[in-house]
Amino acid sequence: MSHALRMHDVRYRYPDAAARPALDGVNLDVEQGELVLVLGESGSGKSTLLRAALGLVPSFHGGQLAGRVVSEGLDTREHSPAQVARQVGLVFQDPESQLVMRRADHEVAFGLENLGCDPREILPRAEQALTAVAAGHLAERETGKLSGGEQQRVAIASVLAMGQSTLLLDEPTSQLDPIAAEELLALVTRINRDRGITVVLAEHRTSRIFAEADRVVVMEAGRIVFDGSPDEAAAHLAGSAPWLLPPVTQAFVAAHRPELPLTVRDARRLAAPAPPSRRELPAAATVVGLTSVTKRYGEIPALRGATTALRAGTVTALVGPNGAGKSTLARIATGLEPPDGGRVEGDGVRGYVSQNPAHHAVRERVDDEVAYALENLGVAAPERARRVAAELARFGLEELAGRHPRDLSSGERQRLAIASVTVMRPQLLVLDEPTRGMDGLRKLALAELVGRLAEDGCGVVVVTHDIDFAAEAAEAVTTMARGRVLADGCSVDLLAHGGFFACQVGLALGCATIAEAGALLRTETERAGV
Amino acid sequence: MSPLPVGLLCAALLAGSVALSNPFAIAACAAAAGALLWASPPPRAMYVWFAATSALLVFVVNPFVSVQGLTPIWSGPQIPLLDTEITQEELVFGIAAGLRLIGSAMAVAAFVRLADGDRVLAALARVAPRSAMIAALASRLLPTLEQDATGLAMASRSRAAQLHRRRPAAALAAPLVGLSLERSLMLAEAMEARGYGGAVRTRTPQPSMNAPERLLTVIGVVTCAVVAAAIPLDDYRYYDLLGDPFTTVGLATAALVGLAGAAGAVTVRWARRPR
Repeated sequence: MSHALRMHDVRYRYPDAAARPALDGVNLDVEQGELVLVLGESGSGKSTLLRAALGLVPSFHGGQLAGRVVSEGLDTREHSPAQVARQVGLVFQDPESQLVMRRADHEVAFGLENLGCDPREILPRAEQALTAVAAGHLAERETGKLSGGEQQRVAIASVLAMGQSTLLLDEPTSQLDPIAAEELLALVTRINRDRGITVVLAEHRTSRIFAEADRVVVMEAGRIVFDGSPDEAAAHLAGSAPWLLPPVTQAFVAAHRPELPLTVRDARRLAAPAPPSRRELPAAATVVGLTSVTKRYGEIPALRGATTALRAGTVTALVGPNGAGKSTLARIATGLEPPDGGRVEGDGVRGYVSQNPAHHAVRERVDDEVAYALENLGVAAPERARRVAAELARFGLEELAGRHPRDLSSGERQRLAIASVTVMRPQLLVLDEPTRGMDGLRKLALAELVGRLAEDGCGVVVVTHDIDFAAEAAEAVTTMARGRVLADGCSVDLLAHGGFFACQVGLALGCATIAEAGALLRTETERAGV
Repeated sequence: MSPLPVGLLCAALLAGSVALSNPFAIAACAAAAGALLWASPPPRAMYVWFAATSALLVFVVNPFVSVQGLTPIWSGPQIPLLDTEITQEELVFGIAAGLRLIGSAMAVAAFVRLADGDRVLAALARVAPRSAMIAALASRLLPTLEQDATGLAMASRSRAAQLHRRRPAAALAAPLVGLSLERSLMLAEAMEARGYGGAVRTRTPQPSMNAPERLLTVIGVVTCAVVAAAIPLDDYRYYDLLGDPFTTVGLATAALVGLAGAAGAVTVRWARRPR
């Protein structure tokens, strides 16, 4: 069988990189028609690997490349990315930053024009590609007004239309709600199975795609440390990096069970789910109460009478599909936007951490960034210095105090963004989509961090699409759809047995968290042993 | 919509706003441009707000910086660098200047809202491919820049920044520029990943004009002709004394331009009707 991609001893260093190379001796062969899942922590080199496959490194980014990359028979040292792009397509993480044209059908036509396609064929091929990704109805819509999921579909259609035989996807679901993410991954699988298109996919959300992959490649510090089948990968990762596995597999790892199911169906065959049980949330004071809150943006209603109470000393997850009104509710609760109608009651300092940590980087130094809010509040210099030092220590940022915020890694930037708000000691802290593009290990650290903030008495609200993270981090859950609050309750009730918004361990084992599921499995094993 | 018919009508109204002198003709250009903008898809409010506030500013400032006109209506105390003798001619000229600004701003806004940006870029790419890439980057960057500005402002307000004050607001400019540079790199990379810059490039065939677009082209051509004919004939003067605005040329131009604006707005509404 011929190879779609061959990498031989590839070493690459970005032009501004200090010490470690982004790719360090990578050897990878991908055969035609394979579906390869690339796993690894943030900064492990997944995105650079995909860029190297298209020749964007070093052609676009500069830097030094050693070794050989051959994509669809084209050596990237001898062919420009524009030439390689005739055979290999790349879909980026952020749908907003990859759409060039204003209209969806023109966007799909853009790549065909670049290929020098016969003008008579351009529009029919664009229409076909949009139809193939179930986005035919979006053809005449403005790309800027599409939802994240729709934008990502158009981006995939743009690549499919070009008739390329290899598709590279760089965390395409990181900004999508669970339903849109599942649809997208199902689409990718279908493209691979039905059309024989080679797919190389870097992804953190592995619950749906892990078992579907032909091969799993694990990267660490620019190297490929494992390359094998999904079952072999599960066995390998169970001992080294279980957070890269699907949550249901992690539960079996936590229970020290020898079987490692990769899907909900397999897990159900191995263990009976916990029976549904109602749990009451412990009593807690209300930090902010919202009653029948409405909000419109022009002609679009964002909130249609939302009512909820945000609790002190509790981590509450605010979940729902794209466009449900979660971020609007969060901004109104923190006083950043006024409601059009209804009542918002609550006193005290309220903080909001944007979904893009770069929005919290307005100063030249990390310590100045943390001091920014205190300066705005008029806190005296000695008190300010004391509180900044305490906050840096709390978030493990002391040694980075003199660095520029933009020079930090994504995880450090996220911690700095939170520290720059918690230094005000808010009674309510809202984190808007904090897990975008975050790997499993960082999510665990974030869950622990928000748990500590809640223990200190802060009401923490996490607005998220990531149901598995919500289940791990939150005690209380508020579900929303179409501008209304659907339910307020305990995360076990809503995410383990909730059906529509259920997390993977909930669907498989009726538990909200991996730890709970692990405990359930251990008990079951012990009983069976007895 | 196709850029040609929209461009013809908007260019005629822009030229009329700038080059005609008769106040009725200028007012008609402003009204026609306003009608066209009203018929355009939202958002429109920010364009109207910009045009109205700029026009008001010009109207208020003009009498204090002009030293012309022979019909004084008010004299104030002497202030250095300011003319505190207000004349009737200065006020009327200020109104006309404000209307010129409204007409030209709204004509440009109507073109921006109505013309298909992708087709404008495609037309630009035919004559200047490199400029088209920069224009494409800019046209995509503007909305994302707006989102980043909103995000930065919100994150700063969440940290108790008083953004209604000049200094804290100005401090956000540098990070915003940094973010926009990051965005432009990402977009340029995405364009290269889709084969932009290859040796041979073709163009999507443009759809032929539909009935409303053809009608709008006729209206645009007629308006261009009316304005082109009126400019050399319109000799209305504001200084030293106001001329008589009720001239045949002025009134006829105003009537025809006003009619063209109304017909243009109705045609645009027709074109936007879902089929």
